[in-house]
This record gives sequence, structure tokens and C-alpha cells, in this order.
Amino acid sequence: MTLAPDAVGRPPQPRPAIPALIDEATVESIAGETWIALVGEDEVLVPIPGDLPEDTLSAWVDVVGPWTGSVVLTTGRQTAADLTRALLGEAAPELLDHEDVADAFGEIANVVGGNVKAAIPGPSTLGLPEVGPAPAVRNPADVCRIEVCWRGQPLVVSVQGALPSLPVPNTQHDNPHQNGASQ
Amino acid sequence: MKILVADDSRVMRQIVIRTLRQAGYDDHDIVEAEDGRDAYDKVHAENPDLVLSDWNMPNMSGLECLQALRSAGSAVPFGFVTSEGSAEMRDKASAAGALFLIAKPFTEETFRENLDGVIA
Repeated sequence: MTLAPDAVGRPPQPRPAIPALIDEATVESIAGETWIALVGEDEVLVPIPGDLPEDTLSAWVDVVGPWTGSVVLTTGRQTAADLTRALLGEAAPELLDHEDVADAFGEIANVVGGNVKAAIPGPSTLGLPEVGPAPAVRNPADVCRIEVCWRGQPLVVSVQGALPSLPVPNTQHDNPHQNGASQ
Repeated sequence: MKILVADDSRVMRQIVIRTLRQAGYDDHDIVEAEDGRDAYDKVHAENPDLVLSDWNMPNMSGLECLQALRSAGSAVPFGFVTSEGSAEMRDKASAAGALFLIAKPFTEETFRENLDGVIA
């Protein structure tokens, strides 16, 4: 393929930031539907902000495409455990181990992330879910964030770009979580 | 009948199995697979009547599993249960020989709509 003559020598087009691609209401709707389907019919997310406790856990999936970033869910560690019990239902063991929580919380992030990916321009690929400390926000202008409550406990959904703000040299895509955020 | 449920998330396998029961498919044998490679092996070992598979899995994706099965001559009925339900993925699934694609989050009604006619 050859570039059209007028495309040669032009500066690269600005990358789209997430607020131009998806709004908070859509993210809230995706999260709400996920909760009702996975956690339970009566499990509503209430759009009320709250202060996260000190001991938090995050689960996220990466989206790589025209927009590249992560869909990150963050809540208190105890709330993540409560979510796991709600998902497992009668199959929940008496004592949850970290693997159970990582699996359940990661799967919720996977479903929310998959639906966010479907709502923004593609084609994009979705990574496998990861659980740990939240990935760092690289560009505050490239974030769509909602704060909700589940069973009275605060939870944050952050759709956040993995790349620093422009202008920067357009280098090869590197690991968006190189600051030790994964696991 | 025997249904193979493939998902790398144990929690999601349990939710799929629970939804199958809620949708009325409660008298079928269930076999679980942890990824596409495991699903491929278990289709040959267990000879299921239907495969319900996640798309995005380590080792071998659901799509790669379906393509490998068809290349090996298997005609096992195959449907996706995945968090990505874009038109592009539905086209890819259909082209590879999948009967349906159920997007997560799903309901028991979604299961009935897609599975009725595929399994008794």
C-alpha cells in the first residue's frame, strides 16, 4: 500500500482520548448489566461516590487497538471477596483463597472490559484479566471513571489510557503496566 | 447428552453450568475444560454433543480450538459464550463453523434462545 501524497510528511494524527469515545453513562450501564447478570438479579450498582478503603484490590483487562488502555475495577479487598461469594453462590467454599477472588473479580473485569471494547471503535484485542494493584494512570485526560456503590461499599470503574499524553515520540508500544502494577 | 464447557475461569464455568440448569438443561452430563487445548483434547476423549466455549483463553483460544477441530474432521456442534459480542467476532465465529455466539453477560433466556434446537 502506498500513502496518498498529501499524507506524507504530516504530523501523526492525535490519538483519540477515551472521553471522546465513551461516556460515563455507558460505562455505568455496562457495569450495571454485568452486575445483574453475573452477581445477581437484585444486585444493583448505585451511582454514589464513596471513599475506597486503604486495602484495595483491582482487576483489569487491557484493550489494544485504535484506543489502547485498561478497563480497571477497584474496590476494597473485603468487597472483592464478597463479590466472589456472590458469584460462586452455593459453590463458594467456606474459606476463599486468593485464586478464587482473582478468578471471580478478574472475570467481572473481563465482562465489563469486553463490553467497553465493543462500545468503542475497533478493531481491538482484549487481554486476559489480571488482578493486583491498579495500573497507574498515564494521562489524566484519557480517563473515563465512575464511582458506584455495591451493597453500600464503594467501587470504581476506570477506563484509562495506557499511553502518556501527547506530544511524545511515537515509540513502540511498551508494557502499560511496567510500574509493577501487574500481580 | 453431554455438554463440554470450556472457560479458563472456574467461576465462569460454574456460572455457565448454573445458567444451563436454570434454562432447563439440567439432565445433561457436563464436562469442563480449562482452555482451548484442553477442550480440543476432551472433544476427542469425551465425544460431547455440544461445546460451549469462551473465546479468549490462554494456550489455545476458543476460535483456534474450533478451527483445529474442524481441520481434524470433527463436526461437533460448537457455540461461543464470550465477553466480546461484536459483529466482527460473530462473523469470525460463523465463518469458522460456530452455531451461535452468546455474549456475556447473559441470561437463562439467552441460553434457551440459542440452545433450543441444538440440544433436546
